[in-house]
Amino acid sequence: MGRYFLRRTGAAIITLIAASIIIFGFIHLIPGDPIYVMLGDGATPEQVALLRNRMGLDEPLVVQYMIWAGNALQGDLGQSIFFDTPVTQVIKEGAETSILLATITMVWIILFGVPVGILSAIRQGTWIDQGLSGLAMLLASVPTFWVGLYLILIFAAGLGWFPSSGFPSIFEEGGLSNLRYLILPSLALAAPNAALILRLTRASMLDVAREDYVRTARAKGIRPYRVVLRHILRNALLAVVSAFGFTFAALISEAVVTETVFALPGIGRTVVQSILRRDYPVIQGVILVTVCLYLVINLLVDLSYRLLDPRVELE
Amino acid sequence: MKLRNLLGGIALAALMAAPVSAQTLRYATIGEPPSLDIQMGTATLASTIAQHMFESLYAFDEANAPQPYLATGETISDDGKTITITLREGVMFHNGDALDAEDVAASLNRWAEFGARGKLLGLVSAEATGDLEVKLTLEAANGAWKSILAYINGGPVIYPAEIVSAAAGEPIAAENFVGTGPYKFGELRPNRYVELLRFDEFTPNPDPSSGSSGERVANFEKLQFVPVPDVGTRVSGVQAGDYDYAEFISGDLYGLVRDDPATQVKISDAPIFGLMFMNSETGPLATNTKLRQAIMTALNMEQALQVSVGEPELFEASGSYFPEGNIWHTTAGTEAYNQGDPEKAKTLAAEAGYDGKPIKLLVSTNYKAHFDDASVFTRQLADAGINVQLVVVDWATLLQLRGQSAEWDMFMTHHGSVPDPVLLTVLNDSYPGWWKSDEKHELMAKFTGTSDLEARQAAWAELQALIYEQLPVVKVGNILSYDIASPDLKMQFGKAPVFPYFWGASK
Amino acid sequence: MMQTLATWTRPAISRPLTTLGVIFLLTVVVFAAFSPWIAPYAPDQIDPANRLLPPGGAHLLGTDHFGRDTFSRLVYGARLALLIGIGVVGFALASGVPIGILSALYPALGRVLMRMVDVLMSFPSLLLALGLIVILGQGVFNAILAIGLIYLTTTARIVYGVALRLRAEPYVEAARSAGAGTWWIITRHILPNMISPLLVQASFVFAFAQLGAASLDFLGLGAPPDIPSWGNMLAESRIYITRASWLLLWPGLMIVLTAFSLNLVGDAIRDRMDPRFREMVGR
Repeated sequence: MGRYFLRRTGAAIITLIAASIIIFGFIHLIPGDPIYVMLGDGATPEQVALLRNRMGLDEPLVVQYMIWAGNALQGDLGQSIFFDTPVTQVIKEGAETSILLATITMVWIILFGVPVGILSAIRQGTWIDQGLSGLAMLLASVPTFWVGLYLILIFAAGLGWFPSSGFPSIFEEGGLSNLRYLILPSLALAAPNAALILRLTRASMLDVAREDYVRTARAKGIRPYRVVLRHILRNALLAVVSAFGFTFAALISEAVVTETVFALPGIGRTVVQSILRRDYPVIQGVILVTVCLYLVINLLVDLSYRLLDPRVELE
Repeated sequence: MKLRNLLGGIALAALMAAPVSAQTLRYATIGEPPSLDIQMGTATLASTIAQHMFESLYAFDEANAPQPYLATGETISDDGKTITITLREGVMFHNGDALDAEDVAASLNRWAEFGARGKLLGLVSAEATGDLEVKLTLEAANGAWKSILAYINGGPVIYPAEIVSAAAGEPIAAENFVGTGPYKFGELRPNRYVELLRFDEFTPNPDPSSGSSGERVANFEKLQFVPVPDVGTRVSGVQAGDYDYAEFISGDLYGLVRDDPATQVKISDAPIFGLMFMNSETGPLATNTKLRQAIMTALNMEQALQVSVGEPELFEASGSYFPEGNIWHTTAGTEAYNQGDPEKAKTLAAEAGYDGKPIKLLVSTNYKAHFDDASVFTRQLADAGINVQLVVVDWATLLQLRGQSAEWDMFMTHHGSVPDPVLLTVLNDSYPGWWKSDEKHELMAKFTGTSDLEARQAAWAELQALIYEQLPVVKVGNILSYDIASPDLKMQFGKAPVFPYFWGASK
Repeated sequence: MMQTLATWTRPAISRPLTTLGVIFLLTVVVFAAFSPWIAPYAPDQIDPANRLLPPGGAHLLGTDHFGRDTFSRLVYGARLALLIGIGVVGFALASGVPIGILSALYPALGRVLMRMVDVLMSFPSLLLALGLIVILGQGVFNAILAIGLIYLTTTARIVYGVALRLRAEPYVEAARSAGAGTWWIITRHILPNMISPLLVQASFVFAFAQLGAASLDFLGLGAPPDIPSWGNMLAESRIYITRASWLLLWPGLMIVLTAFSLNLVGDAIRDRMDPRFREMVGR
């Protein structure tokens, strides 16, 4: 187990280093210049050169990378060119929204995806199963931003039940009641991902149902719902729960479009805006942090899966 | 059913926990402002926010005439090259220091060297000649000097001497935002808001308020500028009471908000206008004036404005660069404007020797109106046999590409109202497009060489006529942008100024 | 080959919903192939006097803010939908299949290649696509590359998995020990057995390419805005949602129905597939 842990961690670190080189390299291939955006209309070439020098954008790339990577290791992702504040602060500002949004979305996904997936599996082959599978596929085929726009039209602009957009921090005036700002966006974001979890739950239920020990239990005459509860559910959910991790990590980036539609001050929208503003350090920082998040979750899921699932043999 | 109850409950809780403090003004902006050091940049939003913190020697009154603000008066030498300005006494900076001539001299010198519009004045040096007296030396007499000193957008606002000298060519960092205005810097939270706090030791100008000149009274404790890029969201935010004021609402929503009792509409006091620049340096249009005229002839501005603005009350197909009623208004040359005649354009293009080669029109989608205008023009020019190739990029890329003359033949941008023609970008030789014909230089010399208003007006009329003849740029038409506010918000201005200000406002 | 074709067609006939999906997809193909004859107006014909018309009358589905005919633009939009779908699937297969198969056959190479695939997969997919678009510039071709890269990784992984299993099959082992060349094994044993998993993967990739392209268009980073794509139509009409909400309805429905139909077809093929590979493909 120790060796396995070390090998997986090592692989994750190598992946991270490779990813960081890609992130760094890519950003500098981008056409367009942050300096022009910052100085606005009518900047002279001299002003541009001066500011570029100040921001260190005229150093050789390798030097820039070494400085950047070295600082990143110490938790310093550089200065946002646009905001003139540390990138970590920009990310921190977006993190609350992104994490809360992903969390609430996860709640919908679990509340909908898991029970419906179980139902679908129990009723495998019936019209209920087919109907639910069809529904899942439909949900997976809907662009989140399109749903979002109609949710705003109906529930915010029309019925006035929820705010249309924005999200004041829960640490500000309004406190936890500010979470209402995240209801519509999280529903839009949940749709395709709930479909995914639904299908996964169904599939792993059916997988487990085929296992020998379940057949044995059935043959012993244990009542069907007890078989489902005792044996199938517990084992099937292990696979599903491990998928929660990836889904959560994916939600942070998938929220890009949803955050744009609902004008949420999250990490995703920050990236889109930073792309438009050519704010290199922020784009680099956010992608790096999301990649780290993905790798860490991936590693944890992997390791805990090995620990929890008796069927996975240890090396 | 339970879920619905739960949702309903949350919605109800939401309604009960809504009140926004009457002491805070929340302003929904079109986006995030760049640096608030407004000497260094010309972004409209930065000026709107920063004018509450930073002040200038002169300020425009209701009639758009510059009045002494931090200054109390001036004397000018006979040759117009030396201006001595006296300063108001007892003005206090946010850091507790008193404003003196050293601060003003340092601020002006830094602006002249590094400021976004620093070259306009032709300032050789500014020096303190007394505690409250500054002497400005200019390269040549400049008829527009007072307007230039009053124009805060990329303009000479006054900072403490030690802060400007430390900053030099770099933008001043947020922690060093120190000015003399009624609000001081509070906090900048990326993607959330910029917050300004009332400056309690503020020393107001003793004159009565008029436009942005005279007394400034801060009623709100805090001003919050919240980025809300989506226009529909800005509207629903004001309707719901989340924001007190929202800028840049699109023309197509005008009918909706005008009739809504939950909003008051603030139409802008001066139009902005779309511009399509032509490349005077390289490419098929550089020397081919006839081809430019063919393009101009084909364009129907009415159609473009209908598409990009929609609401007839909010646009006017007018070729004059200054609106009627403005001292700079003239119709010279405008008979070339808005012809929309594809047949005549075809003939002109043939005479110009146009061979069907695509003409590259650079445009960004960040401003919907730019793209709408460009799409309409492309179609109209196609009808006249002129082949336009749209090069669609984002605004940041456009700003860079337009500096490279080989990359484009025409590009779309827009221009705000300015107090003096000298501030028009097309008159700047180094602005992309690079219009520097001999005829232009001759007229410019006439225009800036005197401070006599009538002589300057006459020179401007000739310049405008020349613009319509040589076509370094095509004006699309006047657009009255508008803002909306919650019905309870009382503001000092009737129509929305280019940079809306909130001293004198209350709710 | 005939057999695969049969497994491909049978499920469509046995499931009414899938049949409807196939019919819809055929309609899209017809729209794309015959746009100039089907569309009553040119997609870029502007008419400011008749802007934002509701559905009905001379304009079946109304007009947008340029006064352009919405139905005509939908018809032309089908072209881009197909182009994006075919392009992304083509790119994903053309790059993912060789990577996957070679990795399975040559373990040393496979470690490097699959590690690179892992690195790419550790990027949040939409952010990766956005980053690429910004570097490459906006354009249909670049959108295809950006989305294709996302599905390169999943395709390579699936192909790798399937190829590994096939490689261990007794008959492949036998062929190898009988001295069959790599090319022979790939063309005779691996590729033919991979057709149904690839078909399933292709239909899912095709579906998600639609959603990905729509997202890029919506963020203003996809197809150039002067091209009538369904995503662009949504992005342009967004501010008119309170005034003319139907403008968002049609293009949205086209995207949903296209993706849904493709998913149905893919699912139907998968259900007919060799159960050993069934769990490997999908999402």
